[in-house]
Amino acid sequence: MNQRMIGASQARLNITWDGQNGDLPDSVPFDASDAEIKAWASEALRGGGVPGVTAARRADLQDFVIDRFPATDEMPYNRLFVRPKTPFGIQCG
Amino acid sequence: MIEVAVVLDRQHRPLHWHEPPDADAAALPDSRDLWEALWAARAQLSGVAHSHLHRGRPAPSWTDLTTFAACEAGLGVRLSWWIVTLDDASCFTHRGPGRYDYTGRTAIDQETAAWIAELRRRSLRDHPAGGLETP
Ligand SMILES: [Zn+2]
Repeated sequence: MNQRMIGASQARLNITWDGQNGDLPDSVPFDASDAEIKAWASEALRGGGVPGVTAARRADLQDFVIDRFPATDEMPYNRLFVRPKTPFGIQCG
Repeated sequence: MIEVAVVLDRQHRPLHWHEPPDADAAALPDSRDLWEALWAARAQLSGVAHSHLHRGRPAPSWTDLTTFAACEAGLGVRLSWWIVTLDDASCFTHRGPGRYDYTGRTAIDQETAAWIAELRRRSLRDHPAGGLETP
């Protein structure tokens, strides 16, 4: 994706699934909710819409989380990453 | 006393110790750093171990089970998920049929015993009884 096409309120969305990852071709609103982002990412994965990631009809991002990185001098656009969660705990459920 | 995790390679050797400052005795919080360590190691990864700071048979929490399933879905591989208590250890792997159906077994070889002792040592570091618990 051409970074100049990503507006200040938009973000590039990177999705990791099944040992692969790729960026969604279209930018998404940076302030979208986690649920919205996961819904767009799931839809893209199922439809083969993430370049570099094989279409996954049963993709389910229920246990995934979103990392949000605002634009910086080095990275001139906002970025969102959908990745697996990694907490461990004895008691929390 | 804090929960600690360790990323293991296919020879059952530690690749990465995960001891974040925000961990406590009952939980290791979600961590992008841990995910990046898993992703970077994915070609040589066999599993992840973490400590439970109690005695007796290890059992994964719901948080643990959903993390196991999420990481395997993201990495595209099944892994071995060790849980080490103060006096026991088990390795959990996905057996199905459900997404969160993991079964434990215990088979501790010499390489495994070495990092289990180190995991307990790191987990008990600041505990008044630290060091007493390693069998
Ligand atoms: Zn646990």
